[in-house]
Amino acid sequence: MNMRWRILGIAFLGITILTIPVFSQLAPSLPRSETLIVDQLTGRTGAPDNFNEWVGWKWRDRGMQQLMNEPLWSIDFATGEIINGLAATLPEYNGDFTQVTIRLREGVYWSDGVPITADDVVFTIELIKSTPGMNYQAPLESNVNKAYAVDEHTVVIELKQPNSRFHTYFLDRWGCLWIMPKHVFKTVTDPLTFQFNPPVSSGPYVLHSYDPSGYWTVWERREDWDRTPTGILFGMPKPKYVVFRAYGDPASKVLGMLRHELDSADLTAEALKAVLAQGRTVRAYQPSFPWVVNSDPCITGLTFNTMKPPYDNPEVRWALVLAIDIVNYESIAVDGMAPVSPLHIPYLPGYAALFFEPMEEWLKEFTLDLGGGETFKPYDPEVPFKLAELARSRGYAVPETPEDIKTAFGPGWWKYAPDVAEKLLTKNGFYRDEAGRWHLPDGSLWKIRVLGRSDLSHLSTRNSIAAAQLWKEFGIAAEAVLSVDFSSLGLTGEFEVTTDWPAFEPWGAGPDLYRTLSPFHSENVAPLGETTPGHVSRWSSPVMDQLIDQLETTDPTNVGATAAVGIESLKVLIQDMPSIPTFNYTGFVAWDEYYWTNWPGIENPYAQPYVHWGPFKYMLPFLNPTGR
Amino acid sequence: MLKGGRLRFFRRYFLPRLAQYLLVTFIGINVAFFIPRLFPSDPVLETIGTIRSQGTYLDPATVDKFISDLRELYGLEGTIGEQYVDFWKRLFRGDFGISLFQFPEPVLSLIGKAIPWTVGLLLTSTFLSWLFGLVIGGIAGYYPNRLWVRALDAVSMLVRPLPYYIFAFILLIIFAYVVPWFPLGGGSSIGWRPELSFRFFADVIRHAFLPFISLTLLGTAAMYQMTKLVVQNINAEDFVQYAQLGGVKGRAIISKYVLRNAMLPLFTNLVLSLGQIFGGALITEIVFSYPGLGTLTYHAVVSGDYNLILGVTTISVVAVTTCIFLADLVYPLLDPRVRYR
Repeated sequence: MNMRWRILGIAFLGITILTIPVFSQLAPSLPRSETLIVDQLTGRTGAPDNFNEWVGWKWRDRGMQQLMNEPLWSIDFATGEIINGLAATLPEYNGDFTQVTIRLREGVYWSDGVPITADDVVFTIELIKSTPGMNYQAPLESNVNKAYAVDEHTVVIELKQPNSRFHTYFLDRWGCLWIMPKHVFKTVTDPLTFQFNPPVSSGPYVLHSYDPSGYWTVWERREDWDRTPTGILFGMPKPKYVVFRAYGDPASKVLGMLRHELDSADLTAEALKAVLAQGRTVRAYQPSFPWVVNSDPCITGLTFNTMKPPYDNPEVRWALVLAIDIVNYESIAVDGMAPVSPLHIPYLPGYAALFFEPMEEWLKEFTLDLGGGETFKPYDPEVPFKLAELARSRGYAVPETPEDIKTAFGPGWWKYAPDVAEKLLTKNGFYRDEAGRWHLPDGSLWKIRVLGRSDLSHLSTRNSIAAAQLWKEFGIAAEAVLSVDFSSLGLTGEFEVTTDWPAFEPWGAGPDLYRTLSPFHSENVAPLGETTPGHVSRWSSPVMDQLIDQLETTDPTNVGATAAVGIESLKVLIQDMPSIPTFNYTGFVAWDEYYWTNWPGIENPYAQPYVHWGPFKYMLPFLNPTGR
Repeated sequence: MLKGGRLRFFRRYFLPRLAQYLLVTFIGINVAFFIPRLFPSDPVLETIGTIRSQGTYLDPATVDKFISDLRELYGLEGTIGEQYVDFWKRLFRGDFGISLFQFPEPVLSLIGKAIPWTVGLLLTSTFLSWLFGLVIGGIAGYYPNRLWVRALDAVSMLVRPLPYYIFAFILLIIFAYVVPWFPLGGGSSIGWRPELSFRFFADVIRHAFLPFISLTLLGTAAMYQMTKLVVQNINAEDFVQYAQLGGVKGRAIISKYVLRNAMLPLFTNLVLSLGQIFGGALITEIVFSYPGLGTLTYHAVVSGDYNLILGVTTISVVAVTTCIFLADLVYPLLDPRVRYR
């Protein structure tokens, strides 16, 4: 009996040992030393068989926008630089912006060997323009009069009306209008349902395989990588295979990194700290606290529904700003790890010189009228040092010099001044009851529902929880309402305060704020109950309209003139405060250096640091295999 | 006589249950049609919201046009009444339409891809946990004072109240990280295209092992406790006491007297559990990044994908009501009291 059990035990052990090497995470055809594994930001792919990204949402961060496509241009938000991809030069507009010429790079090919030419560009524009339901159909239809090839590498697009930003439809910042292979799509009867599988690439990788359930996609480096813009500009991408892997739970990503099964991941604040504490080969974007990517071009915060009283009153909105202790707020939302921004753009290295430094004096002198001849200057340049002190008190090593502290924690924010907030509210008829609870001028209890997303890890949700808590402490019956209907409620105006972007991201980190500002134009504001095409705050002002109109006729390549209009527009946004920018969108990025090194950290930002952005392809030639 | 008995059974037992089955199914499908349409969520706006929040620049001047194009494309134009009629027409053709969020993928195709994973995992774990719980709980209920029964009681008391997420995650940490015998998640290894081979089959089994164990262990603990309780109650009945006093062997008492009587509620439990399989196992799928209907349904709800919600719910409603109907038909075979009523 004993002998029989012993034999069984040995057999079981043997099978286990023999079985483990056979079943590694990767199929035998993918050697780990040549494979880079990164996580997929938007999670499991819902339509894994479909690579037609010209229709609807196709989880394009599964590698399509990063490795399969080369755009005409892309923007690297770490530097603000526009990189010419399929285009050889920047777009060339005529004097009145009614015609744009695109010159294509020579010597680039589709992955099936067909050259990429002006015909592909013209075909793309014409097909999409004539097919309602395709992404970008409406803007092409309303803008393009005619597109034609002058020669094999030159396209001219005649516009229906002046548009100095027409080329931005083709400028990849997190997706854009990519050029499609004419020789494939011209044979398709219904481009809306066409799956484009297997896809033909203009980028340096081709599809290797994918999980029919949507958890992973594998891309293989093209043999003719040197006939792609990535190869021509930066050389051979080092990983032969790149895997995009979706995890159901952030905790699994941490385990994946610790097992060296995941080389790059976008985590939560808690998960980043856990993986840095446990993983000896894991690093973050910054070497010390706050570790995070501080160059993301998006700004998070709170947005008022300015068509609903009392949020139609700028003084009420300002009172709510001053009721926020941003140090406490940051601590609740992101454990103090994100740079704050007082402006409706993120605090980025490139923007410091363009916007923040020129505006610093104005910010310091900016004054609120409290009534009765009393005024108040709300700007507080000491906020970054308070955040650094908080981190220090928790035992974290933080940067020492004022400049480094500002780089890590932002330039400043608004003072925590509940007494001033009280004066502004009292001036407008609000009052506190005996219990200290605020009431609206009509006598009813002031309740604020701060709308957030249902995903607890999303920074929108973190903002809603922090705002609700601090406003509650101020005496308002505030609560965070997390809803799966976040987008619908926002677009139709069924909210009081939401945590959608307080202002849209500029194009990467470029000087042109047109993308940020144009949604605030009065022509883009819809009445409550209707879908608003502009910003969900539904705020506009005649001054802002004028500035947007002025920006439309300003050459976007004229940095000085463009930034000057941007500065004036940012001032208007601060004065009226239709939304409160709080902190930069923060990438809690972790990289494992077990298999791959030379990640673009803060000490060497040769490329933007995300694996989910299009320019990820330009990072790959610089990664170095460790040989493990 | 026999013929008359069958007719009576058909008229008094079968027909009312068939009518009830069809009515409940019809009501369930209607609820599934109307409830999502009462949500504030709009699939077109959610699509726009996703595209915008992911950073795509939608020119404000052309958003309205894009919305109307999507409504037309998704078949969301027309009144709810028109959509309702259209839905029943399509349903009779076995067509749930296209997924709105995963456009233009047909709903049936999405469900078809997810079902094998869900059914494979949940059918096995549900049935085995029922069987293990039944056998072990039955014996334990008959011999409640044995040492091994007390040990099992302690284990089940410890395991049962654990939130499933925590229990599953503990398994994941132990067997996928501390002792990395099993993968962290997924349905199969990366880069492996589905194929008919032993190695691929073994790979799929290995990926399913931890999800399976987590569901089976908790399911067995629950079933064990329930069966033990039911058996203990039956044990106290006169006929069991009489059989014991009459010298009938313990094994025979358990199988022929006790378990047979305990079978009816336990069988009902099995049937309901099997019917609920088509709802998927959301938390299991999230923790183990495992494919299946749970996450498919979750994303359908989050994105306001009416067609997909309706597809999954309809299948789930039909599965549950069919299982209950079949159980009703089987009861007379299991319990003579039902047969002679």
